[in-house]
Amino acid sequence: MTEKTYTVDGQLRKFPSPLPKFLIELAAIVVIYFLANYTLDFSSINDKGLKIAVAALKGLLHPSIELITRMDSSGLLYMLMETLAIAFLGTIIGIVLALPLAFLSSRNIAPRWVNYICLTIISIIRAFPAFMYGIMFVRVTSLGAYAGVLTMAVSSIGMLAKLLIEAIEDMNPGINEALDASGCSAFEKIRYGIIPQLSSNIISIVIYRLDINVKNASILGVVGAGGIGASLIFSIGKQAWDEVGAMLFGLVVLVLVLEYFSTRIRKKLAVGE
Amino acid sequence: MIDDLLHIFYPRSYTLSNGKVVKEKFNWAPYITIIVIIFSLLCAKITGVKLSVLRDRGYQFFVMLKQMIPPNWSFWADVKKPMLDTIIMSVLGTVFGCLLGLPISFYLSNNFKLNKYYMAVHRGLLSVLRTLPTMIYASLISLVIGTGTLAGTISIAIFTYTICVKMLYEQIETIDMGPYEAMESTGASRVQCMINAAYPQVRGYFWSTVLYCFETNVRSAAILGYVGAGGIGVQINTQLRWRAYANTGLILFVLVITVVVIETVSREIRKKLVQG
Repeated sequence: MTEKTYTVDGQLRKFPSPLPKFLIELAAIVVIYFLANYTLDFSSINDKGLKIAVAALKGLLHPSIELITRMDSSGLLYMLMETLAIAFLGTIIGIVLALPLAFLSSRNIAPRWVNYICLTIISIIRAFPAFMYGIMFVRVTSLGAYAGVLTMAVSSIGMLAKLLIEAIEDMNPGINEALDASGCSAFEKIRYGIIPQLSSNIISIVIYRLDINVKNASILGVVGAGGIGASLIFSIGKQAWDEVGAMLFGLVVLVLVLEYFSTRIRKKLAVGE
Repeated sequence: MIDDLLHIFYPRSYTLSNGKVVKEKFNWAPYITIIVIIFSLLCAKITGVKLSVLRDRGYQFFVMLKQMIPPNWSFWADVKKPMLDTIIMSVLGTVFGCLLGLPISFYLSNNFKLNKYYMAVHRGLLSVLRTLPTMIYASLISLVIGTGTLAGTISIAIFTYTICVKMLYEQIETIDMGPYEAMESTGASRVQCMINAAYPQVRGYFWSTVLYCFETNVRSAAILGYVGAGGIGVQINTQLRWRAYANTGLILFVLVITVVVIETVSREIRKKLVQG
C-alpha cells in the first residue's frame, strides 16, 4: 500500500472551481440590471421631495398631541378602537366560517371527494387579494367599518382553514376509538374527544390571525372599508405630518402590545400551564 | 337540570366515603366563551354590523362579479406592462431587501457576541418598522421621490428587510457554533468565519426566506398602485373608477393566475430547499 501524500496545492485543487459560481452571480447582476432598467423610472425624483422628507421627519417626531387626546369619533383612540374591533370581529367570523370548511377538508373526518371540494373552495377564496373583497363588500354595505369586518372575515378563511386542517389531521385517533368503545354518543365524542384536543390549537390560531389582521386593517382604509387606514392615507395626502405621526405612533403601539400578548399567550398554550 | 347547568361555571365537589372532599378541575372555557361573545357584540356595535343589511343587499357582492365575467380579453395589451412591472417590483424589492438583510442578520444574532447595545437598538427599530404594512411605506415614499415603480420597489425592499432579518437571525441563533470556533482558532477573521462556517449552515433557509418574501410581496404589491407606487394597482383603480368591470375582470384574472403560479412554484422549491 502506498502512503497518500497531502500537499497544500493538491488539497486546494480538490476544491470545486469558483468559476461557475462567479458566472451565475454575474448573470444575476446583469438580469437585475436589465429588469431595473425596464421598470424603474428615476426621472420622478426632484428637489421638492427633499423638502417633503424633512417636513415629514419633523412631523413624525412631533406627533399631534391634540389628536391623541381627542376623545370623540375623530380622535386617535376611537380610530384605534375601530381598527381593533374590525380585526377582532373579522377574525371571530372568519374562524366560524373556517371551522366547518376545515373539518370537511380533513382526511380523518370526511371522505376523500368532500375533502377535494372543500379544499378547492378554500383555495379559490384564498386566491383573490384582500382589497378586492374590500371593493366588493363596500358595494354591499356602503363605506365604513362593516365592509372591513366582512373583508377581514373572508380573507382570513384561507390561512385559518389551512392551520386548522393541520391541527385536525394531527389529532390522536386512539382517543375517539376509546370513546367509541365505551359507547359514547356522537355529541359526547365531540365534547370529550375532539374539543379538548383542539381548543388550545384553535385559540392559538385565532390569536395569531388576530395579530395579522390588526396589521392588515390599515390597508382596508384605502378602499374605504373603515379602520385607521383611511384617515392615515388622507392625512398623508394632505401632508399633515403631525397627524400622520400621531396615527403611526398609535398603530405601532397597538400592534406591538398585541404582538407581545399574543406571543405570550401562544407560548403558554403550546407549552401547557 | 338547573344544577347541571350551574355546574358548567363552578366545579362539582364529591364527598367520598372516607369523608374526603374531591373537587373537579376548574374550567375556564365557559367564562372565556362569555367574554368573547360580549366582546364580539360590543365590536359589532362599534363597527355597525347588521345582519339585515347582508340579507337585503348581499346580492350586490355578486353583481360586480357577474359584470366581470366574461373578462374583456382585448384589454390584455394594457395589462401586460403593469403586471410585469408589479412582478419586477417585487423581484427587485425582495433581492435588495434580502441582500441587505443577510449580512445585517449576522450582526443581530446574539451568538457572535457583537455589540449588545447596537443589537438591542437595531432589533427594536426593526420590530417597530415591521408593524407597518408595505402600503404605508409606499404612500410616504411616493410623496418624497415621486409616484412610480421606484417608490414601490423601495417600500417593498424596506418591508422585506424587516421581515427577512428577523427570520434569519432567529435561524442563525440555532446554528452549530463548532465550525465557527474551529475556523476562528486557525486565525481567520470574523467575517471570514461568518462567510465560510456560519453562512453555509443557513444557506438553504436563506433562499427559502427569499422565496417566501417574494411570495408575500407579489401579493401585497398589487395594492401599491392605489397610493401611487406603480404596478397593476394603478390600472385597477382607474378601471374601477370608470366602472369598466370587464376590464377589471381581466386584471383580476391575470393577477390571480400570477399569484397562484408563483406561490405554487415557490412552495415546491421551498419544500426541496428545507429538505436539502
